[in-house]
Amino acid sequence: MIAKRIGIESSLAVAEAVRLANVDVIAAYPITPQTHIVEGLAEMVANGHLDAEYIPVESEHSAMSSCLGASAVGARAFTATASQGLILMHEVLLVAASLRLPVVMAVTNRALSGPLNIWGDHSDVMIARDVGWIQIFAENGQQAFDQTLCAFRIAEHQDVLLPTIINIDGFHVSHVIEPMYFLDQKTVDEFLPPYRHPYALDPDKPVTMGGFAMPNLYTEGRKSLDTALRQSKKVILDTWKQYGDITGRYYKPIEKYQAENVDTLLVTVGSYSENAMDAIDKMQAEGKKVGLVSVRLWRPFPYKELIEAISGAANIIVLDRAISLGGPAPVCSEIRAALYSLKDRPQVVSIVGGLGGRDISPADFEKLIATGLDKIKSGDTAETIMFGVRE
Amino acid sequence: METLSIYAPKLITNREYIASGHRACSGCGEVLAMRYVCKALGRNTIISNATGCMEIISTPLPQTAWEVPWIHTLFENASAVASGIECGLKALKRKHGYTKEVKVVAMGGDGATADIGLQSLSGAMERGHDFIYVCYDNEAYMNTGIQRSSETPFGASTTTAPAGKASMGQHTWKKNMAAIAAAHEIQYVATSCSSYPFDIMTKVEKAIKIKGPSYIHILSVCPTGWRCPSNSTIKMGRLAVETGIFPMYEIENGKYTLNIDLPKLRPVEDYLKLQGRFRHLDKDNTAEIQEKVLEEYNKVKRLAAGNKAK
Amino acid sequence: MKREDTIEIRWHGRGGQGAVTSAELTALSAIHENKFAQAFPSFGPERRGAPVLAFNRISAEHAIRVRSSVIKPDIVVVLDPGLVTLINVVDGLKPGGWLIVNSTRSIDDLQSEFSGDWKLAVVDASSIARELLRVNIVNTTMLGALIKTTGVIKIDSLKEQLEVKFGARAKANLEACRKAFDTTVISSITTGGQKKVRTFAVENLAKWSELPVGCVVTDVGNTKQFCTGDWKAQHPVWNDSKCIKCGICSLFCPEFCISQQKDGYFRANEFYCKGCGICAQECWTQSITMVEEA
Repeated sequence: MIAKRIGIESSLAVAEAVRLANVDVIAAYPITPQTHIVEGLAEMVANGHLDAEYIPVESEHSAMSSCLGASAVGARAFTATASQGLILMHEVLLVAASLRLPVVMAVTNRALSGPLNIWGDHSDVMIARDVGWIQIFAENGQQAFDQTLCAFRIAEHQDVLLPTIINIDGFHVSHVIEPMYFLDQKTVDEFLPPYRHPYALDPDKPVTMGGFAMPNLYTEGRKSLDTALRQSKKVILDTWKQYGDITGRYYKPIEKYQAENVDTLLVTVGSYSENAMDAIDKMQAEGKKVGLVSVRLWRPFPYKELIEAISGAANIIVLDRAISLGGPAPVCSEIRAALYSLKDRPQVVSIVGGLGGRDISPADFEKLIATGLDKIKSGDTAETIMFGVRE
Repeated sequence: METLSIYAPKLITNREYIASGHRACSGCGEVLAMRYVCKALGRNTIISNATGCMEIISTPLPQTAWEVPWIHTLFENASAVASGIECGLKALKRKHGYTKEVKVVAMGGDGATADIGLQSLSGAMERGHDFIYVCYDNEAYMNTGIQRSSETPFGASTTTAPAGKASMGQHTWKKNMAAIAAAHEIQYVATSCSSYPFDIMTKVEKAIKIKGPSYIHILSVCPTGWRCPSNSTIKMGRLAVETGIFPMYEIENGKYTLNIDLPKLRPVEDYLKLQGRFRHLDKDNTAEIQEKVLEEYNKVKRLAAGNKAK
Repeated sequence: MKREDTIEIRWHGRGGQGAVTSAELTALSAIHENKFAQAFPSFGPERRGAPVLAFNRISAEHAIRVRSSVIKPDIVVVLDPGLVTLINVVDGLKPGGWLIVNSTRSIDDLQSEFSGDWKLAVVDASSIARELLRVNIVNTTMLGALIKTTGVIKIDSLKEQLEVKFGARAKANLEACRKAFDTTVISSITTGGQKKVRTFAVENLAKWSELPVGCVVTDVGNTKQFCTGDWKAQHPVWNDSKCIKCGICSLFCPEFCISQQKDGYFRANEFYCKGCGICAQECWTQSITMVEEA
């Protein structure tokens, strides 16, 4: 494979990955900061660079519904959205999972109303936590490109058949021009087999898709879906291994950075992990035993890998870019749950920050880690701290 | 009356695409309408069904009454799912050697069509997808227990717009879905009724031939919700047509044709008095309904006459 | 655990016959008597005409906390005469419990249908309702039989509830109830045959691991295995001498269950026929009549 190094906006890199995946149907509705992805795709279709049906739907609800229809007849379908758009889709997200239709969706993560805010955080996808989709975070443009390609292979694998979200931080990744490597069509074609659904709607082999279950069957239906989602991890790991063998870029459910032989680990999700890396480097140079762990695979949640990555540290500081109003921050609550069964548990402190596009610079990360460690030292870790808020 | 020979029923195909053993109410007019629609559609069809009576009565897992490929996802999105199916098949044909000629059909009740699903239907018609939308209008949310919809007729008592000392029940007139569909300038719009199998089948056959969206609105008698005997289903549909309450017409490229043009309409009372949902209406209410029915009927008649004059 | 003094009742009716109203009136009457009571329906996709269930729990002493299904009732009341031979109405009925049935059949005749240590009460509630209410809806009439046999509620407390629910029509309903009270015949069952009836146990359902991807159904049209014929209170009978073999009955059948036989005449498949009566109503030569189920 001859990889070409180019500079491009991350949104357009996602569009390029979708083009290389030779998607059949795109149904999308404009919403900031997602729009550049589908504009890119619309242009490719208009110029004949991508042979696909582009459905300019009248809402996100219809965007996802159209993707379900396309996927149900055996066509590869893609959409992208963010924020309120993802929320409007919610009802349809659940059905995509329960009907096992492997739609791929890019979500350029953005805050939720109100007040209305178009900038980045993870509130939108955290509310979509329980809908039954595979959910993966990309931290930069290269990862967004790579994960989009991997998503089709994972979602459509016959042992999986589950819809998949690739999370890309709004603006901080989506609108940034960066250098990255693309794959050529031949390599992609070898990596990604054609899509086929075992029960695609077909007059020659009629099936009924989407009947209703009474109390005597519903539990079995949910168990079957939950098991499929949990077991998809095997295919996810295989796919990332195979993709790594092709590109040299290997991905893991839990990514570690300078995380060996440290007392304190910062846990992040998404693009702020890269900001944090600079802070970690500086602090380590100063002799502080601080490392970084970031969650790439959000659903199915990689409990085993997480425990392996963090259980050696004494202090865990978790940064959530989403607030669970009146409850524990979502990522931290997952991490606490994962650690609870251990005999010797590290101390965990929960910090919420970076909401609605509020920046957390590398210098801020140093402060954030210090704040977390102070809390642990004082033994006051019950409450979630909000970082960077004007008091 | 239908201008057909007495032995015409035998001309209809014996092939059913919905099986017996479905859970529809005794005397259901909606399932009859759906049966005729499916007979006209034939086997090479994919159906996207909205949530509602017809979805619930046909697919209690692990059973299904359907014998054609069928998908139900949600209440308000049957048209959007159909859009995806149509585009998916188009892409498969162009790119992956798919050769079958498949009719894409979205179906829903009056709530799924005129209320919660109106946006997705409008979007799909506006975008020009090659599909047929069939609305089975039984004039209320019957699946959840007879709540009013925008298709509930003036004066009807429902559980969310009940008649009482301070209310005569529904105080709004039926939303004109055929006109709304026609305003999208689609090539084929028609109304029909569950008591007229040949009319339904003819209209579906016409819709199949249209490249692009077509819309068929079928008044579907619901003895449970209308509170009339289960054996009166066919009679009630005929009365709806013969009183002019529900005119059956087509709008082809904007041109109206009144399919059953009666020289003299029966009084609306003949229809209203047989249904429990109208039992509370007094003479003044009935007169008001009579006036509006004539006005609307004549409007359609004028549009059809104007068409003939051209 | 159910407290010992709690009485559980299961009502058998058809969708639209008012079994739920019977249970409601029973609970409201008991609550009126300062007892504790519950009334609840069984929810399902079955529609008008389908066999349905409603339930009561009544206790004079204790607040009722259990919200689960009634599995072992103390009392079973059957509103529809046809259901006795159709489904296993005594399923789970406790020894010494009451089976209260609306039927025109004699008590001796009905006794032969069951085998178990139960008490049997029979009343011709349909005739009473037709006479006094001018409609074959027996939900209030059957309360008279319940009161006579079991005394779980008092007729005076029912009277108040009827007035609240039915207003001007309460009087006739109460009269029907009193007539049922007076004409209910009581016996006990010890021996007798048991006819083969359908139980309402669920079909053999799949384990979670056996469900196909997305819970799709590939065995299309398999509702054909489901009997809707037991929804009917009446069935069509053809007089072939009047039949002109036009097929309108078949065309307008919402169960798609009327077909032409080899001899050219039409018949309904009783396995599906819900007894709507459209065929009889629409037959041009009036060669079909609807006959009440036994």
